[in-house]
Amino acid sequence: MSRLVLGVVTGVILVLPLLAPAYHVLLMLPFMAYAVIVLGLNLLFGYTGLVSFGHALFIGIGAYTGAVLTTHLGVRSLELMLLASAALGALIAAPVAALCVRYVKIYFGMLTLAFGMVFYTFLLKFYRLTGGDEGMQVLRPTLLGQDLGGIPKTDYLVGPYYYYSLAVLVLAGLVMWRIVHSPFGLCLRTIRDNPTKAEALGISIVRYRWSAFVISAVYAAVGGALLGPPTGNVDPTLAYWTHSGNIVFMTLLGGFANFFGPVLGAFVFIFLQDTVMAVVPYWRLIFGAILALVVIFAPTGLMGLVARRRPAEVARA
Amino acid sequence: MILRAEGVRMFYGDFCALDGVSVRVDTGEFVSIIGPNGAGKSTLINVLTGALKPSGGTVRFKERDISGIGPVRLARLGMARSFQLVQVFPDLTVVETLQAAVVSRLGRGTRVFAWLGRDSEVREGALEVAELFGLADKAHTPAKHLPQGDKKLLDVASAFALYPEIILLDEPTSGVSTRDKHAVMEILVSASKRLGIKSIIQVEHDMDIVFGYSDRIVALHQGKVLADGPPEEIRANDDVVNTVVGRKAGAFERGA
Amino acid sequence: MTANLVNILLGGIFHAAILFLVAAGLQVVFGVQRIFNLACGSFYALGAYVGVTAVRAFTGAGGSPALFIVPLVFGGLLVGLVGVVVERGLLSFVYDSDEAFQLLLTFALVLMLEDVIRLTWGTAPYSTAGLYLVYGQVTLLGAQVPVYNLIVIGASLGIAVGIGWLLTRTAFGRIIRATADNREMAEALGVDMRWVYAKVFTLGTALGTLGGALVIPTTAAMSEMGIELIVEAFAVVVIGGLGSMRGAFVGALVVGVFRAVAIAVYPALEMLLIYLIVIAVLVLRPRGLFGGAAV
Repeated sequence: MSRLVLGVVTGVILVLPLLAPAYHVLLMLPFMAYAVIVLGLNLLFGYTGLVSFGHALFIGIGAYTGAVLTTHLGVRSLELMLLASAALGALIAAPVAALCVRYVKIYFGMLTLAFGMVFYTFLLKFYRLTGGDEGMQVLRPTLLGQDLGGIPKTDYLVGPYYYYSLAVLVLAGLVMWRIVHSPFGLCLRTIRDNPTKAEALGISIVRYRWSAFVISAVYAAVGGALLGPPTGNVDPTLAYWTHSGNIVFMTLLGGFANFFGPVLGAFVFIFLQDTVMAVVPYWRLIFGAILALVVIFAPTGLMGLVARRRPAEVARA
Repeated sequence: MILRAEGVRMFYGDFCALDGVSVRVDTGEFVSIIGPNGAGKSTLINVLTGALKPSGGTVRFKERDISGIGPVRLARLGMARSFQLVQVFPDLTVVETLQAAVVSRLGRGTRVFAWLGRDSEVREGALEVAELFGLADKAHTPAKHLPQGDKKLLDVASAFALYPEIILLDEPTSGVSTRDKHAVMEILVSASKRLGIKSIIQVEHDMDIVFGYSDRIVALHQGKVLADGPPEEIRANDDVVNTVVGRKAGAFERGA
Repeated sequence: MTANLVNILLGGIFHAAILFLVAAGLQVVFGVQRIFNLACGSFYALGAYVGVTAVRAFTGAGGSPALFIVPLVFGGLLVGLVGVVVERGLLSFVYDSDEAFQLLLTFALVLMLEDVIRLTWGTAPYSTAGLYLVYGQVTLLGAQVPVYNLIVIGASLGIAVGIGWLLTRTAFGRIIRATADNREMAEALGVDMRWVYAKVFTLGTALGTLGGALVIPTTAAMSEMGIELIVEAFAVVVIGGLGSMRGAFVGALVVGVFRAVAIAVYPALEMLLIYLIVIAVLVLRPRGLFGGAAV
């Protein structure tokens, strides 16, 4: 059943650019970027039990890596942008994670938030490098060596860039699927459920948490790099703490206990935000209320609501 | 000799919890630690399992100093433990819990991209232990949905799945109904034989169990070893009977 | 030179006085309810807007400008009553939930309050137009210091003493401290937890809204002021130690003064310096300078 749903969804996404208006196809781009980000975030949140309020830091790393590469260094290849973002994300996450994973719960959340704000302040204040609050331009990247500078921007985005993003998302999803079903993934879940017992079984909680953090940071950086080209611009709010909060929100909205939950959450978040903002500018009020309702009445998110109705059909993630 | 603590002292501020305690466990032995509340049993367990670094004295496991080395390295060295307050992974099934232990024993936790479901060694290792503990028919039940007695068994079983050389059981039958206590102990003893676990050290309040299964009993009182010897000797020791076992001695004599 | 230094220091201390109020609200709530309230900055913003509105209404109705501080404080404290609504209407549902959910619920509050403010007051900055200078300025070691700033610093000190008195000398304070130490024990002794939580959260909220009201005569209210302040308040409590009142006091001074000095010396450093201090404290002394103490 769930395979059928997944197949149908993938099919719809594949043909969407042929059927849907460009406007909605364009909205799929941030969705796919955020889907990559929350897939990674949920390795930390849903599978390891750590809530980061600073992952926007790595989104910012990815986004600005793309901007610096295209505008300052003349590198236009999206493959290189993604690789560089992943590498830089891992490089910065390694020491940050080493410091953060020694703490749990509220202290972990605060420490990640502090690191996120360090980077945000850096982006804001060192404007010669980063453009300050104006941000930076991201020039149109080449895809698989194809310079697509000649076609109109919308055609570029709803065509090649759309399928490129989709490919990245599918690849990221497959890799994450392997990770959570690996012995490593099982060890993460033991740590989430009961760190004391996990240690008694010889599982080093600090090392596993560190690894989960770094992997999730790489995902955030890759997703961040995908966010830049559609708008052609990146700015420091990408690294702001409320942005970190929003991606946790997406994860919770869709359901952290299910592999696909966060992806669904990202989808609902992006499209609902767009729908609401078309009517009133006060999306935060409505989203805040939704978040409050989810936290109080449906902590397992949308996927949890589906699973409650049809417990037998939902595969354990 | 597999585990040996000598002259262990432990202070919490001015309070002396352990005052020169020496304990040894030989290969193949089943040793019980008994003592009234506050005798220092919990502290001694924490010292023996490397969770606490003693203020004085030494703790050696297979001739290696293990004072304060922590649970992870201890498990790697071949010593496992279960907990007095039952410790399980609420959202993991029985078989997943045991798989986690087997993964840890085989050092496969770093395999980030391997497909766990296709690792037959891990699967069979987990199933074997599940069967030994009579948990096979509940293999896919999440731990949080198990009855209390089965949770206790799962806690112990996952420690056994590490194939340790020695296992420390902290009140293995607490929370288990009197009727089931002997059944649980029989499972533990036979499982340890099947899995090649050489020695067992337990802390236990139930004197039936203590006298029924131990090769040797160590009685603690006020941070000191009051007596150390085979069950017959302990039973004949008036000091121990008065302070630890209690006057209702008839029950355990029948049980033994 | 001295005048400059005095200006910088007093500017820092003024900021610290405001920060202390917000951080104290954060601390009392965390100490008792174990909830880290991300929305304390939003309460601060709310207090600021209500403060401006109250003062404008007061002067508009012919009130003497010299008395503006009366409606300001009154408005700031009154809006603190939203704390009851928030506690009973939202937080009371999640006391048994995981910390992550509690944190996210206060984040939901941040989102909502930001738009409530935009809906009510618009997006343009909103100010009392330099009204604070009505009390004039004094010269301190060659520096021109607005009297209003000194009043606020004094008021904040007074509140600090008042909170200390409340916590250590009153029956309510004993209940608060008992609850912070051991909730089950306090409950077993017959303390009605719902009532304590409602009062504590309202106290925490009112401290935040009062902070917002007091700062507003010297600056303009903006809808983002809340989410910006929360990071500073957060820095204060991390440096001082979560849940500790003395920590809030010292932490506020550290953040306020360091920030003022950084702005004067090398503006790019501003908050960066604060975050680096925060990280250093968390890494070296995770419980903060005064951590471990209950409330």
